[in-house]
Amino acid sequence: MQKKVLFVVLLSFMMVTTTSCTTSRSVTDEHDQTDTLEAYNRAMFKFNYEFDKYILKPLAEGYRDITTPYIRRRVNTALANLKEPLYATNNLLQGEFKDSGISLFRFAVNSTLGLAGMYDVAEGWGFPRKQAGFDSTLAKWCVKDGPYLILPIFGPSTPRAAVSLALDSAFNPLYWATYNDANVHDKVTYSYAVVSGVATRESVMDIWNDLERNSVDFYAAMRSAYLQNRGQSGCYNDTESNAQAAYDFDFGVEDEDEIYNEMENQ
Amino acid sequence: MKKNFLMILALALFMHTTAAQAAVDAQKAETFVIQVTDNGIKDIINANIPQAEKDARFKKLFNNALDLDFIGQFVLGRYWRTATPQQRTDFIEAYRALNIKTWSQRFDEFKGKNFIFKGTSPSKSANQVFVNSVVPMEQGEPAKVVWRVKQTGDKFKIVDIIIENVSLAISARNEYTAYIKNNPGGIDALIKDLQAKSK
Repeated sequence: MQKKVLFVVLLSFMMVTTTSCTTSRSVTDEHDQTDTLEAYNRAMFKFNYEFDKYILKPLAEGYRDITTPYIRRRVNTALANLKEPLYATNNLLQGEFKDSGISLFRFAVNSTLGLAGMYDVAEGWGFPRKQAGFDSTLAKWCVKDGPYLILPIFGPSTPRAAVSLALDSAFNPLYWATYNDANVHDKVTYSYAVVSGVATRESVMDIWNDLERNSVDFYAAMRSAYLQNRGQSGCYNDTESNAQAAYDFDFGVEDEDEIYNEMENQ
Repeated sequence: MKKNFLMILALALFMHTTAAQAAVDAQKAETFVIQVTDNGIKDIINANIPQAEKDARFKKLFNNALDLDFIGQFVLGRYWRTATPQQRTDFIEAYRALNIKTWSQRFDEFKGKNFIFKGTSPSKSANQVFVNSVVPMEQGEPAKVVWRVKQTGDKFKIVDIIIENVSLAISARNEYTAYIKNNPGGIDALIKDLQAKSK
């Protein structure tokens, strides 16, 4: 008995010491440990689902009906172009000076020659997009992610992602360009929010439908996909192998399970 | 001195043979995945044959390429041990049927696309390896698809597919264990729901 206790203590010690910054979540962690707000989250998820069903999804479907893929690509490229100042700032904050310069250059070229960002001229010249938002900056600065959190309307998030969302939006050039005229400012920022919301919802339509159609617990399926997808961005002192470790799990987790069972029974 | 040298030699030899035994043939694993995807794209997705024939071919390819018994065990997690033999079989079959249906539905989205293979990465599990690939997209960055391949003897099987860092095995495990935990019907209810989904 004592031996077992010692083993559990040793194991939990190992788990604590090996869990660096944000990466390497153990498989069992993913659904038990990181969703401490599950009751609230499920309720908010339900609310968002209804909001999506009656408002956002019909808008996105309508948008898809009246546009062609070509037009939607132009809209998406133009919306992405508005994020170049954000990318430039965050590349700078992450010490990626060259990428920061590329982002600024892309913004200048695509906003003019690319007709307000509708065409990605710079990519054709060999300067592809260098995405970097506050979330990846904070991750690089070793800011912890925090628990899974469903935001109203915006959906799956974490405390770090939510803060980043707010910071990111403050770097929208439309926001600053219209700042002095309150009337125009409101119209522009609200229109931007609606257009980008609908365009984003349209672009994830197929993958969303796929996930919903094939899951028996849509909430759990989305949580798992969201957390795994964002689990990659690591602290600056994380090595490459740590980034991969997230999906290089051991298929034989029987021992680990046994320990969890015992902890639950105690 | 001589004895020491001999010992080092013996040790080196020993380490070499155990390493060779444990290793997985990464080159062959990659070739295996390339064959599977080629087969899927050429002979199924882009082939000019009726849908029923497509489905039949896909089912065969899927069962040959993926080790669903192995994945299924992992997916049920801690509930695998408490499940009866009947529940285990039923679960694996329901999970298999749902996967075959899910992936056939994705054929259309995959038309005109292809995989570009980018070599392999080692796994902590000795008999497994990750085969890296990307799928170019119409817009933006290519999608990252990683295949986890297990070698048994000279046979290769896919045990996980990781799309943009999302592992299918972990996703299913997270979802199904959450379902069982929150559902009074337990595994039986899960099996019923999976069967209903794959109809």
